[in-house]
Amino acid sequence: MTMAGHDRSNLRKVRLYGVLIGLLGLMMLPFYAMFSSTLKPESEIFAAPATLVPSDPSIQAYLQVWTQTDVLLWVGNSFIISVGTVVLTLLLAIPAAYSCARNDFVGKRTFLLAVLVVQMFAPVVLIVGLFDVITQMGLFNTYLAVIVPAAAFTLPFNVWMLYGYFKTIPVALEESARIDGASQLQILTKIVLPLTKPALVASVTYTFLYAWNRLLFVLTFLTDSAKYNIPRGVFSMVGALQTDWRMMLTVSVIGIIPLLILFAFLEEYIVAGMTAGAVKE
Amino acid sequence: MSLAEEYTETSDDSRLERGLAYVQRNSRAYLLIAPAAVFLLAVVGYPIIETFRLSLYQSPADSNIETFVGLQHYVEIFNSDIFYRLLWQTGRWVVAGVAGKTLLGLLIAVHLKGDIRGRKFFRTAFLIPWGIPYAISAVVFRWIEHPQFGYLNAILLKLGIIEQGIGILGNPSIAWLGVVVADIWIGTPFMAIIFLAGLQSIPQELYEAAAIDGAEKWHQFRYITLPQLKSVVLIATLLSTIWTFVSFDVIWTMTGGGPISSTATLVIHIYQVGLQNGNLGRGAAYSVIGFLFLFVFAIIYLRIYTRGGDEL
Repeated sequence: MTMAGHDRSNLRKVRLYGVLIGLLGLMMLPFYAMFSSTLKPESEIFAAPATLVPSDPSIQAYLQVWTQTDVLLWVGNSFIISVGTVVLTLLLAIPAAYSCARNDFVGKRTFLLAVLVVQMFAPVVLIVGLFDVITQMGLFNTYLAVIVPAAAFTLPFNVWMLYGYFKTIPVALEESARIDGASQLQILTKIVLPLTKPALVASVTYTFLYAWNRLLFVLTFLTDSAKYNIPRGVFSMVGALQTDWRMMLTVSVIGIIPLLILFAFLEEYIVAGMTAGAVKE
Repeated sequence: MSLAEEYTETSDDSRLERGLAYVQRNSRAYLLIAPAAVFLLAVVGYPIIETFRLSLYQSPADSNIETFVGLQHYVEIFNSDIFYRLLWQTGRWVVAGVAGKTLLGLLIAVHLKGDIRGRKFFRTAFLIPWGIPYAISAVVFRWIEHPQFGYLNAILLKLGIIEQGIGILGNPSIAWLGVVVADIWIGTPFMAIIFLAGLQSIPQELYEAAAIDGAEKWHQFRYITLPQLKSVVLIATLLSTIWTFVSFDVIWTMTGGGPISSTATLVIHIYQVGLQNGNLGRGAAYSVIGFLFLFVFAIIYLRIYTRGGDEL
């Protein structure tokens, strides 16, 4: 490569990373605003105009938040709701996806398309009718009031994701296991599911995130504040007149830490899941 | 089962027998999809029917008496100014939001495409806004846009762009912009990742051939990247349109639809009327109108999705 060409490629690199870092900075700005605000003492957070860098950073807010808010309770509830949704969704999705991948039967196409249509049906346009169903089932104000609709709206993604994956597992594997005397259930749990691990991780992550993040169902179907999840808890801290911004932002930071850990470990699966959910191949 | 009963009424015995024999042969297949099918029918199918039914009734919040009013809700909605204002506000919310997410997502994807150092880090970092609760993103943006203590005003003041702090979310003419910014921030990562996946599936030889022919970067983007990316962009923007159309948490947390309903969209109005004010009938009628929009999007989506034909 000539010197000029080398310079040009270096320049391109500088420009590329410059743009990337600039864009990243833009995307990270809200996190900075959130995090730096929680490090400010009470007097500084209500300074106008805001100080962009905390003048005297302290972790005081993080010590206060445990006694002044229900953050632990909310995180715990979020876990209950998310895990419940994951379990329910998988219990329904795995058999259905497996059946569609292995059998050809009348109504399969209809079922799969109907499932896809459900994904289009956003819960909020159904909320009025759903409210009726939840009350009639006697679920109002129970965790199930949130888990049941969340499972319904994550089911489509899970069915399609697992259906696509099951189809790639050779039938021959299952047949040889059957010859060896394995039962249907054993084949599914001992052979098929272990091979499906990447798809399962993507499914679980997607479902967990969905249930963790949703405000609507908790807002509508849970009035008992002891069952609030993190989004609902944060929402409840927005006061009509006065908002304790410092505590609310601290709760927000704590509420997203589990997700950041999840992201750090499962980034590839999340991306795989997102891509599979929207685009073929 | 009622389905079987219906079947007997409309067909002769031999058809029924053959049908039953078929179901029996495939009983395991049907048994395995049954829980999911029944669950979806109960939690999604039934509420759809229930919403249609409710939309024909007057249901005052303070009593259980339901009076059949036929299409009265629809007539009143189509004759009201609120409806057309909601359409306009929903339209501008969707168009601005989807355009912002698409452009920003494309910009990020194009820069992440190459063989760059630290790609995993960048990819993860760009993805994070998508994964955190919308309600939390919304309060953070509310904080940033706070008229007195917000960072946005502090930055604008420092740069000398404004002389006095402005309250974006309290101003009916610009509040929607303040909310759209948050929505774009939340939705961009999805677009970026989907576009990135699309970009990486474009054969590298196309670019090499173009480079030999002396095509400039912009031309490569215009004549190779964009056409190759077309179907991915189509699917992603369509999905994004649906999600933006039904987006609830962000608007609700940031403004609750206010000030003076300037940030309300169709779905926000459904919630306000149907659940907050307890007018289930009117809320249901708005929901049905919302269905119709979603239905159109869904048909387009299904057509694109199943265009291959051999997918199912």
